[in-house]
Amino acid sequence: MSYKPVLRPLSTFIASAVIIGLPAVATANEPELSQTEVLTGLENPWDMAFLPDGTMFYTERCRGLSVRLPDGEVEHLLGMEGTDEYATTADDLVCEGQAGMNGVAVDPDFDENRTVYVYSASNMSEPRTNRVLRMTVNSEFNEVSDRTDIVEDIPYKPAATDHPFGDAGAHNGGRIRFSPEDGYLYVTTGDNHNSEIPQSPELLGGKVLRIDRDGEAAEGNEPPEGFDPRIYTYGHRNVQGITFHPNTGQPIVTEHGPWHSDEINALVNGGNSGWDPKPNMAGRGDCPDDYCGYEPNQTEGMDPKERAAYMPVTDTETYPDAMQPAWKNDGLSQGISSAEFLTGEQWGDWDGRLIVGFMGIGFGGTPVGQRINLIDIAEDGLSVNDVAEMPLPMGAARFRSIVLGPGGDLYTAVDEGSIYRITPE
Amino acid sequence: MKVSLFCVIATALLMGSATLQAADKSTGETLYADACAQCHGPNAQGMASFPSLSGRDAEYITSRLETYRAGEKVGSNSFLMIPNATDLSDDDIANLAAYIADKAE
Repeated sequence: MSYKPVLRPLSTFIASAVIIGLPAVATANEPELSQTEVLTGLENPWDMAFLPDGTMFYTERCRGLSVRLPDGEVEHLLGMEGTDEYATTADDLVCEGQAGMNGVAVDPDFDENRTVYVYSASNMSEPRTNRVLRMTVNSEFNEVSDRTDIVEDIPYKPAATDHPFGDAGAHNGGRIRFSPEDGYLYVTTGDNHNSEIPQSPELLGGKVLRIDRDGEAAEGNEPPEGFDPRIYTYGHRNVQGITFHPNTGQPIVTEHGPWHSDEINALVNGGNSGWDPKPNMAGRGDCPDDYCGYEPNQTEGMDPKERAAYMPVTDTETYPDAMQPAWKNDGLSQGISSAEFLTGEQWGDWDGRLIVGFMGIGFGGTPVGQRINLIDIAEDGLSVNDVAEMPLPMGAARFRSIVLGPGGDLYTAVDEGSIYRITPE
Repeated sequence: MKVSLFCVIATALLMGSATLQAADKSTGETLYADACAQCHGPNAQGMASFPSLSGRDAEYITSRLETYRAGEKVGSNSFLMIPNATDLSDDDIANLAAYIADKAE
């Protein structure tokens, strides 16, 4: 049997390379990813925060705060109403709709003060509010104590309204992160389906707060005169992601869009994000329960561009000085949630990329879109240079939280009930 | 001879019944994975704003899907459920209900 060499056209070679997964251009340095299931069987895991040794604090929205130690042991620290296997149960911490226990952050000086923070709905006040709790973790990592509610007055949606996802507890924000640049705690909140909240100078919903460890306004916050001094930016819809640019330290948030235009915004101190869903303004008439946030035609599909023209996420006609989004998800709303920067040589060409998670929502012809995007955001935060989808080793899921761990791996919590570690190789 | 014939008929009926039941759930499983799991979760446990179907029997699931298919609102997620249910046939609903009830037991 003889071998007869066959010359193939270049296009065939390139096609073969693509089919078998080889890069057609040899200069790309993108890591291969592998994944490990860190925890499973969780109930709506919402957020994680790490210590340098890999200790991972995590929240479950209707259960509470737990910690996974480096040896894999899990301790349940602070339970919510109705739980019984936690070291401490706080009956005022409640779960309803999108609300419950959300973000968690570790104090930058944890080694000295052993302090952690969580964002949770509470019925301690009437009506209910969201609070930021500060607590001390004991040396065995099996108890928390000294609870102090450093913020007590973040609005909570108290009753159902006539809107999509209109149950109580909706548009609840909830991510909390310390800035490595200024050391302050940033707290993201939501508009509660209440059109008065986002532009309100006093109500803390639809805002990003910047506070110190006692909940006092950060020095240097520059909201407009008459605003609560804890407000860093305002005019937001429902912010569930915040991270900080690794070079500039600028806070960057992700904001859920209303059937259109999920946004990434680089924040400017004192800035207005331009969300104002009030009826009878900006060319709109009456709206269901005085909130135009999903209008027009809020329960049926239509062209997202038409919606954006009627109810923009960033209304620059009414607020010409509003912060401009860097990216609008190609005009679609697909449940944008958490944000993080990949840093470290292990990420190859992705070192320095902003990543954002999408939980996915298919409505009115919009593709569901569950994914994590890799975004090359301009250093000034006003645009993006490139957007790509991260080729994930696991299947699609509702990517609620994405956090870079201390070893440089990426961790993601999915609503399906698991936390995964994604390792670049 | 009579006994043997009875056994053959009974066995055939049982096999037919079991096969039909398995086929229904299998079709329901495919439908569920395509149209339901992204919100209600792979184990029907519920996620985020989307309710758990755990403990719901086939009658309940059938009733709800028929209501949504008719365009009637039930709860704050009707805007998502109505378009999802619009094109379901009676068989689709029966298969989904069989699968979900079995999954959620």
